[in-house]
Amino acid sequence: MVASFATLLLALPLLAACQPTRSSQSLIVATKSRIDSLDPVQASRIGVMQVLSGLGDPLYAIDSNGRLEPRLATALPRLSDDGLRARIPLRRGVLFHDGTRFDAAAMAFSLNRFKAIGTLGYQLGERVESVRVIAPYEIELLLKRPFTPLPRLLSAIFLTPVSPTAYQRHRDKPLNDRFVGTGPYALAFFGGQQQRLTPWPRYWGKRPANAGIDLVTLSNSTALFGALRSGEVDLLLNSGLEIDHQQALHRDAAAGRLREAIGPSQEITLVSLLSDQPPLNRTVLRQAVAHSLDRATIVRRVTLGLRSPQRQLLPPSLPGSDPTAWPAYDPAGARALYRQAGYCRGRVLTLPLTYRSDIPTDRLFALTWQAQLRRDLGDCVTLEVNGMEATTAYSQLDKGALTMLFYDWIGDYPDAENFLMPLLSCSKAEGERCLKGNSVLGGSFWTAPGLEAELQRSSQLDGPERVALLVAIQRRVAAASPYLPVWLSAPTAWGGLGVSQPRFDGSGRVLLGELRRLPAAAGARLP
Amino acid sequence: MSRRSDLARYLASRLALAPVMLWLIASLVFLLLRVAPGDPIDALLGTRAPEAARAALRAQLGLDRPLAEQYGRFLGHLLQGDLGQSLTNGEPVTRLIQASLPASLELGVVALLLAAIVGLTVGFSGIARPEGRLDLAGRLYGIGTYALPPFWAAMVVQLVFAVWLGWLPVGGRFPATLMPPQGTGFYLLDSLRAGDWQQLGGSLRHLVLPAATLGLLLSGIFTNALRLNLRRALGSDYVEAARSRGLSERRVVLHHALPNALLPVLTITGITVASLIGGALLIEVTYSWPGIAFRLQEAIAQRDYPLVQGIVVVVAALVVLVSVLVDLVVALLDPRIRF
Repeated sequence: MVASFATLLLALPLLAACQPTRSSQSLIVATKSRIDSLDPVQASRIGVMQVLSGLGDPLYAIDSNGRLEPRLATALPRLSDDGLRARIPLRRGVLFHDGTRFDAAAMAFSLNRFKAIGTLGYQLGERVESVRVIAPYEIELLLKRPFTPLPRLLSAIFLTPVSPTAYQRHRDKPLNDRFVGTGPYALAFFGGQQQRLTPWPRYWGKRPANAGIDLVTLSNSTALFGALRSGEVDLLLNSGLEIDHQQALHRDAAAGRLREAIGPSQEITLVSLLSDQPPLNRTVLRQAVAHSLDRATIVRRVTLGLRSPQRQLLPPSLPGSDPTAWPAYDPAGARALYRQAGYCRGRVLTLPLTYRSDIPTDRLFALTWQAQLRRDLGDCVTLEVNGMEATTAYSQLDKGALTMLFYDWIGDYPDAENFLMPLLSCSKAEGERCLKGNSVLGGSFWTAPGLEAELQRSSQLDGPERVALLVAIQRRVAAASPYLPVWLSAPTAWGGLGVSQPRFDGSGRVLLGELRRLPAAAGARLP
Repeated sequence: MSRRSDLARYLASRLALAPVMLWLIASLVFLLLRVAPGDPIDALLGTRAPEAARAALRAQLGLDRPLAEQYGRFLGHLLQGDLGQSLTNGEPVTRLIQASLPASLELGVVALLLAAIVGLTVGFSGIARPEGRLDLAGRLYGIGTYALPPFWAAMVVQLVFAVWLGWLPVGGRFPATLMPPQGTGFYLLDSLRAGDWQQLGGSLRHLVLPAATLGLLLSGIFTNALRLNLRRALGSDYVEAARSRGLSERRVVLHHALPNALLPVLTITGITVASLIGGALLIEVTYSWPGIAFRLQEAIAQRDYPLVQGIVVVVAALVVLVSVLVDLVVALLDPRIRF
């Protein structure tokens, strides 16, 4: 028996010695997100967007300083006087990966296809009535209403154009395992767990600094963490990485053992408060809850300081950001509000908090907040925490079944409109009770007279006027507290010392084309 | 009636019952998925897509139809061998299963071989001196490996051999820098057919840890089964008779006791194979092995009804097939079996 185990153990290093040498200078990038389709019409997950950002070009891009820059467009849209027509001039001399020419017809084909069959097609369909070719290199978008964040919407990578020739037979259905776009890389291989991107030699822009990217999917945090530590992958994206692994990598980066890059956040984690049913139908109680959350302690304990406390519904990088919109932790103020509502004097308010049981951090949040309330306001309020699988919880949210749910919202494109409307918009209301609309889907059921009009107006204004209105909207919502922003998550990437410092663009995607292998430290293993 | 015709009748009845069993399983899965909370539309669009977009997608996927109509359509397609299309990406379910099943079968077969070799060797090794040290070690090994939590064992093995020692890859099925072999989907077989040693080495390196972990965990079953059956066989009358005829102990064990002790082990192997087809989930998840169990887990999380239904039906069919085959083999090997 001992001999058979010894043989087995001896065989392992022998197999290890057979490790295939890297066939090229391509870089291996690992993530947790499995990719089932690379068709932009199917794109809705972060992992797919990251790959598409290497394979395609949007009309506009947001640089790492948050500024809009034309990519396949040559200038910002020219709006008609009524704001309902937007003309976009397009770049000449761009070729698709199949060698066909990118032009206005191709762009219109792609936008119309996305609008018709895109998973996120509503993002375009709700705002754009039609797309028209008005010149070989110019398109016109007929808008349903004036919409100033249009260039930011058009910076979404899921609106990247695809070759009409290659997608002719997939005009009304997805083409999952191919991608024929205009980006710096072409897709050389597609598998659910592995994709190979090779530089497109006829790319119109700056050529990638590396020989290609191999993207691999590893299904759990330990595998991802181990793959980077063992030098098996060059770059790791934090999506799906557990918080203690993130902290270990963060420490390694601080000690100079690997490289770390943090991108602009598009992910807000919040608690929804069901405002149309007792007990949280009372504004004073929602305000009390808003004063009861010790974000600093919770973020330190739960996320080990890797996320930032958040007191607004917008990421701080966006125009209209108001970092102190929601009240800070104030136990004395909270106690006064609970008392005003009739609690604390021998009467304890019990609040059910549901968390997503399949996300480890969520459970920690629920338990930590529960403990914090017991410590600081135990005579006034107690949390009753319940775990529920994420998909189940989401399906219960709009039924008014969850008094409080802890979840997150990720913007599809970086603009205030994509954070406020999905949480607050309401198409049918009775006083402060929303009967139909995003507020219902978000689990708060809250609205206020005139709020919908203000939200609509905010997406028709520009400049300081818009910023002022967005701040006012946030202040108004914070006063009613139908949601409780908790923390902000920023995309993070870690690379070995054999790779150049990774960088993110303004949409939160690693700039794959900038990555290059550094010869001196190539293949280095972390100690 | 002859034994052969009994066997044929038994097999015919098992095969005739198989479609009924598959129908029951398919119907149960269909209903359970619809009764379970959660909505595929939420999984696809997120929670805050507008109602119109949600309704449009629901109609496009046929989820707005009455349950009876959906069920009728599902059964109708199933009878024609059409398992439908994945809700997640619109791919035919059969194609997705074809892409995942070979990975699970390859892992299962190699793990089972390892389990049988190690488990039977350990189980057999203590037989010379019952209750001796080797026998005790074998017993402890059998209980220990059987009792190990699979996810824990897999993570420890992964941490030691992949992360700390760096000998083998942490996960996946094939090196990212190579192109996977084309063909049947069984990478070992395809690399051998192509004569590509680099591909074969890459496949083997990725297979070692998951197969060894799974094999180790399963080997205890073989160890215990062989130990117990061999000891029972060695105490039986026909073994005593063989000894009294003056046969050597080696011959008694190898030619008389062992073949009889292996028959129940064969049945256990059949059950293990059946459970392996869909049951190596924790190993597949830990090692990012793109097998059918991993796929099923993802499909359940995404509420991808057709994919879940398709995988369950195919796995159930394979389990039925394997169990019939094992019955057949046992019947052929053991003339005492009656039906």
